[in-house]
Amino acid sequence: MTLRTKFVLALAATLVLAALPWFAPPTLVQFGIATLLLATLAQGWNIIGGFTGYASFGNSVFFGLGSYGTAIAMVQWQLPFGVGLAFGVLLSVLFALVMGIPVLRLRGHYFAIATLALSQVMTAIVSNLEIAGRNIGLVLPLLNGDALFYELSLAVLVLATLTIFWISRSRFGFGLIAIRENEDAAASMGIDTTRYKVLAFALAGIFSALAGGIHAYWITFIDPVSAFDLSLNVKMIIMTVFGGPGSVLGPVIGAFVLSAISETLSTEVSSVASLFFGMVIVAAVIFMPRGLADLIRRFRKTGWRYFSENVRSHRL
Amino acid sequence: MKTTPILEIRGLSKRFGGLVAVSDVNFSIAPGETLGLIGPNGAGKTTLVSLISGSITPTTGDILFEGASIRHLPAFQRARAGIGRTFQIMKPFPGLSVLDNIAVGALFGTSTTAKALQTAREEAREWLELMELQHHADQRADELGGPDRKRLELAKAMAMKPKLLLLDEVMAGLNHAEIDDVIEAIKKVRRTGISVLVIEHVIKVIQRLSDRLLVLHHGQQIIEGKPEEVLEDPRVIEAYLGRRRA
Ligand SMILES: Nc1ncnc2c1ncn2[C@@H]1O[C@H](COP(=O)(O)OP(=O)(O)O)[C@@H](O)[C@H]1O
Ligand SMILES: [Mg+2]
Repeated sequence: MTLRTKFVLALAATLVLAALPWFAPPTLVQFGIATLLLATLAQGWNIIGGFTGYASFGNSVFFGLGSYGTAIAMVQWQLPFGVGLAFGVLLSVLFALVMGIPVLRLRGHYFAIATLALSQVMTAIVSNLEIAGRNIGLVLPLLNGDALFYELSLAVLVLATLTIFWISRSRFGFGLIAIRENEDAAASMGIDTTRYKVLAFALAGIFSALAGGIHAYWITFIDPVSAFDLSLNVKMIIMTVFGGPGSVLGPVIGAFVLSAISETLSTEVSSVASLFFGMVIVAAVIFMPRGLADLIRRFRKTGWRYFSENVRSHRL
Repeated sequence: MKTTPILEIRGLSKRFGGLVAVSDVNFSIAPGETLGLIGPNGAGKTTLVSLISGSITPTTGDILFEGASIRHLPAFQRARAGIGRTFQIMKPFPGLSVLDNIAVGALFGTSTTAKALQTAREEAREWLELMELQHHADQRADELGGPDRKRLELAKAMAMKPKLLLLDEVMAGLNHAEIDDVIEAIKKVRRTGISVLVIEHVIKVIQRLSDRLLVLHHGQQIIEGKPEEVLEDPRVIEAYLGRRRA
């Protein structure tokens, strides 16, 4: 497929998605909002985890800061939603810059472990802040308009995806990929690794915070535990890795496919559902560790050998 | 008239715990000159290259590049200033294509203008051909065989267009014909006027390339001078050649 056909297909898919609220039942629109926000979060993770190779567990903090920034601005200061969203993004970017510089010095597992603690620390901090409603949380003004939330979520996802498209063919993105592939070599070839990593972290922060802010206004209620929920970060990783980390559309497809599977299964029998879901993920990691995007690209050439080769080359 | 050396090393030492890997080393490299660095395994050659490229920081001493101290500069700024290196334990970007591995060098390195990816790939293609890797352009770097990996390592460093190239055993593991090819390639880039610090075990190779030789032994420089003089020095024969023969 040429880039042009891909672009036309993506545009057509976007238009169909944009038209969905006009013909779909309300429950599907609600499912759509949740999925589009998850896809945006997956794209955020894709920048720092997929392109730069830093497996972040701190992205749920970005989401939480986006939620709280929006909620505090709207509830405590009576500011409009747009301003609240911008405030949430600002908090998230500040956090990325302040925390990114120390934690992004750590490599591999150490980075993952350091970021693992961040969301719990944030839960504890926010639970003690008067302005954030302490451990009770905040109730946002009600806005009835799922179609609006849906279109807004779609717009943010499109923005995130276009940004990643730019990254994938820019000097900046090449620098990020070089850092992922070999950070020492990247530095010795003239890449300002610290600056690039912090910028990638901040970019991830922007999109995650946007998703957080929209989500908060949509569900109209936030509390410290659910805003900084680590399992949301795990979802971002699973969706990105399933779809194809470091690809432009993989995480979006991963989020759509896995959300659809999980939604279908949970309406049937929920305990069997989560078991099956877990097995799908284990199988995906073993048989297609580079995600759907790589599978689609290479399957035509290699055929079923694709799976056996992956098992062989990635065994521990 | 005395020109400013491209590189000047002053009293440089590096200690790893109780081990002094590089001990009070002093030398300089003139613009356009090729200095050969030899010494037995564990002599501190790779450590010296890492000190110059900025991968590690010295315990004491100073490093001057074009007359200015670079001791406190991080590795990426030294690369931008014009120091390119290869790694003895090769560090390719495994998941990138061979072409894109080299393109990273053209895209960053000493290049100050933000050039398009397209331009960088075109530049990379020239180095690819010089290193006779053109048939592997679209292959992933981790699919390359040993000798081709060595060539890639060299092409990546050269694509940075450095003023000083640090080559850490790029020819180890190559056969005679391959070594001849790589020597020709190095001579070709040298004609552009760059300086080279070359580490190699094969004496014939080092003789063919070097204007001057420096011998390290247990981290200390034991002699420095014209290749033919150095290679006949009894201390060198004992420390280096003697051990290799044994
Ligand atoms: N990062 C390190 N930590 C501890 N010791 C090291 C380190 N790097 C090198 N050394 C030691 O320093 C000495 C010199 O090593 P090296 O510079 O690699 O020698 P050469 O390249 O001449 O073979 C060796 O004894 C080696 O074990
Ligand atoms: Mg060595």
